[in-house]
Amino acid sequence: MVFCLALVVVLPFIIGVGLYIKSTLLFESCSVPELLFSGKWMPREGNFGFLTFIVSSLWVTVLAVLISAPVCLLTAIFLTQYAKRYYLTVMHPVVDILAGIPSVIYGVWGILVIVPFISNDVAPLFGVQTSGYNILSGAVVLSVMIIPFILNILIEVFRSIPIELTEASLALGASKWVTIKRVLVKKAIPGILSATGLGVSRAFGETIAVLMVVGNVVNIPKGIFDAGYPLPALIANNYGELLSIPKYDAALMFAALILFAVVLIFNLLSRITIARFEKSTL
Amino acid sequence: MKQKNKNIYRIVIVITILVTIFSGCRQTDNTSGDNKGETILHGTISISGAFALYPLTVRWAEEFQKLHSEVRIDISAGGAGKGMADALSGMVDLGMFSREVSREEYHRGAWCIAVAKDAVLPTINSDNPFIIMIKKSGISRNQLVSVFIENNVDTWEECMGKAGNTPFHIYTRSDACGAAEMFGKYLGGNQEKLSGTGVYGDPGMADAIKKDVYGIGYNNVIYVYDMKSRRKYDCMEVFPIDLNDNGMIDDDEDFYLTLDDVMNAIKENKYPSPPARDLYFVSKGKPGNKVVIAFLKWILTDGQNYVGEAGYVQLTGSKIDTELQKLE
Repeated sequence: MVFCLALVVVLPFIIGVGLYIKSTLLFESCSVPELLFSGKWMPREGNFGFLTFIVSSLWVTVLAVLISAPVCLLTAIFLTQYAKRYYLTVMHPVVDILAGIPSVIYGVWGILVIVPFISNDVAPLFGVQTSGYNILSGAVVLSVMIIPFILNILIEVFRSIPIELTEASLALGASKWVTIKRVLVKKAIPGILSATGLGVSRAFGETIAVLMVVGNVVNIPKGIFDAGYPLPALIANNYGELLSIPKYDAALMFAALILFAVVLIFNLLSRITIARFEKSTL
Repeated sequence: MKQKNKNIYRIVIVITILVTIFSGCRQTDNTSGDNKGETILHGTISISGAFALYPLTVRWAEEFQKLHSEVRIDISAGGAGKGMADALSGMVDLGMFSREVSREEYHRGAWCIAVAKDAVLPTINSDNPFIIMIKKSGISRNQLVSVFIENNVDTWEECMGKAGNTPFHIYTRSDACGAAEMFGKYLGGNQEKLSGTGVYGDPGMADAIKKDVYGIGYNNVIYVYDMKSRRKYDCMEVFPIDLNDNGMIDDDEDFYLTLDDVMNAIKENKYPSPPARDLYFVSKGKPGNKVVIAFLKWILTDGQNYVGEAGYVQLTGSKIDTELQKLE
């Protein structure tokens, strides 16, 4: 048992170290700041600037979280404060189904429904011409995919707030909504932040669904109706060129290392916050 | 005592399951076929790579497996780049490849053999508002360069030389593939230099064009024409290339009606190469597996009979001889 535990704990380190070792070939010719902040991506000429991909990833992730976090927050509040008990029992399988749908199905749904919707209905509202394959489509698909993760944690967060707080607030004459706004949400802020953090780390790494709708154009996106090219899509699309261009394999490993580092940091921070939050509410 | 016995039984069961799983694995990995005489071949061939070669390889595999029932051939698509990466890393026996092998790839030990020929065609939606004019005047190589490489064209009117504001949506391939590389080569660049919204896979590109009346992209012949009806798929249309740059499609530039017309044009070198190109199988060094060699030999001899039917162009006799030499 201890061996299994050790194996599981050590595995992320092994992956991280492996990725680092494979990327060192790249560091011989380019410095790390140059890699991270240059927008020039021409692998055949030896230019590996990851800025485009990092910025695209940030655009898609932040937008997705901005869309889904409020939705999940309000849903969680409704389910835990207003709704009858059985709503929650019905919601659990629904959320599990959402979490269990394979990524590629979300991608296909994105292509069939979201892309035409954005191209024909949403973009004209803003006076923009777009093929529909852009950051917004990626963010919409991604936001649906991260709902189960954020929602589950938020429900747990609200349920773990001691009922005495609610009772005390109501007893002092506050209305239900004011209680929720001023007392519960305030108390739950660390939990909300960490749920969002987990959502971010999940969204950052989501590959297939996003690459099918986001446009895959190597240009720094300047708005939500521009196409983008997130880091996971870079790796998935160009895996084929791995051995065909010198140093390309090191470059893709470096992209994977960036992803790994970002996801690791967000996950750790979120888990630590959740742990502290649970301790303080016991 | 009872608990000890239970534990022993559990451990035995787990070990038995593990051994069965792993010995099963070893069997499917056994690609060294026993060659008891000329006709009894036995083993598995794994193939991955270009979408361009996928339908033909599937057909070849079907026919080969009919002749040799003990051979199993697993095929998956994913783009030419993936085929090369998988072949060079030893994950598959053969990679399907739809462009020229590069110096870096030879450096890494790539070995290739040509098996058929096809082409990449510029594609548009058949409901494009300018379809009649498009079919009459076609598009020259220079115009294609300004669309795909220089990204200079913003509206359909600009493309056709008029005034107006019809949106112009350019598509390219996001996955590392032969189609983009050869199309790029025809336009004096490579896949990297092609602009447009990146879509994954040839079927994905075909899909994007079929759904977008303002779209322009490029596809392998076999994803434009239906192998059975020999006609273009619904909603797909080819942007005829104005080869002599005279602003219109002459009779001998007009060969896009049926699959066989296009194939003949490629065979007779009327369609430029690139984007017409040889299709290859690649592997890391010459294949050592007897089953693979037998499959390749069959492809270059009896297998060529299925090429035309499947919608591809056969290699010329002398080319086949050269390629067969590689297998000796």
